[in-house]
Amino acid sequence: MSRLFQFARQWKPIIKEGFSQSFLIAKFLCLLHVTNTHVCTPVLVYGPSMLPTLNLTGDVVLVEHLSQKFGKVGPGEVVVVRSPENPRKTVTKRIVAVEGESVTFLVEPALSDRSHTVVVPRGHVWIQGDNIYSSRDSRQFGPVPYGLILGKAFWRVWPPDGFGSL
Amino acid sequence: MSRLFQFVRQWKPIIKEGFSQSFLIAKFLCLLHVTNTHVCTPVLVYGPSMLPTLNLTGDVVLVEHLSQKFGKVGPRHVVVVRSPENPRKTVTKRIVAVEGESVTFLVEPALSDRSHTVVVPRGHVWIQGDNIYSSRDSRQFGPVPYGLILGKAFWRVWPPDGFGSL
Repeated sequence: MSRLFQFARQWKPIIKEGFSQSFLIAKFLCLLHVTNTHVCTPVLVYGPSMLPTLNLTGDVVLVEHLSQKFGKVGPGEVVVVRSPENPRKTVTKRIVAVEGESVTFLVEPALSDRSHTVVVPRGHVWIQGDNIYSSRDSRQFGPVPYGLILGKAFWRVWPPDGFGSL
Repeated sequence: MSRLFQFVRQWKPIIKEGFSQSFLIAKFLCLLHVTNTHVCTPVLVYGPSMLPTLNLTGDVVLVEHLSQKFGKVGPRHVVVVRSPENPRKTVTKRIVAVEGESVTFLVEPALSDRSHTVVVPRGHVWIQGDNIYSSRDSRQFGPVPYGLILGKAFWRVWPPDGFGSL
């Protein structure tokens, strides 16, 4: 029994130190997470749908979340949205039109000249990739509710020769 | 000059104390916010669209966010979703069908018996209020992307005679 007490007495300050360091790390991660989710976060985007604006093999862009909260995200801006087809996936596209505007788009640009006109309903936006020949966007899955927009991509960080605003 | 130094020397510990207390409060609010957004939060819901499950004049329910993150939100759950019509508003309805299922619903139950059948597309859910005579839901704005679901309401806290699981 006394050997157990001795053992506990020996380890107690080390365990206390361990806990306080863990709390410090937890508080830092909490702060990092809140900043990432609500202020600004780097995101790796890849794929051919936003050529030539974004590279095929992957760019790191900074995405800020404040514009989206204040409703200041509009046409011509590159946004990161949660995919309406797969909620675990995020897609990066450009906003072409907002609610109330009318969009005319080519349904299948590689195959025909057929175009279609749609009015964007209230509370929705119309997103399209810059590379319309190889992009799955609102032309396939329809207008996207504004609530799915996660943030606006405004600055490219990697690769270094593309460093600068989008 | 020396009076100025005296003044600063007098106030410096008080300002330091003020800053450290503010940081403590900021850390607590940070933790509270993370818990509210990602674990569980109380929400005041009101309106006639979920009678008799939820009252007209307002109930406080606990909404947990973990089920939604793990994709465990399904039919017959009451969920809080961001409105597809107005991104600043949240609505509380019941999930009637998930992706791939076919929904048959009364288009205007107060006026006629006409019903309509829709297949819920991939990545979407169909939500309806329990009080279909007075509810604006998927019958009006269509299937809702899963990404707009904020959380699942599982426990009513107020009024006290309704205390218990939903």
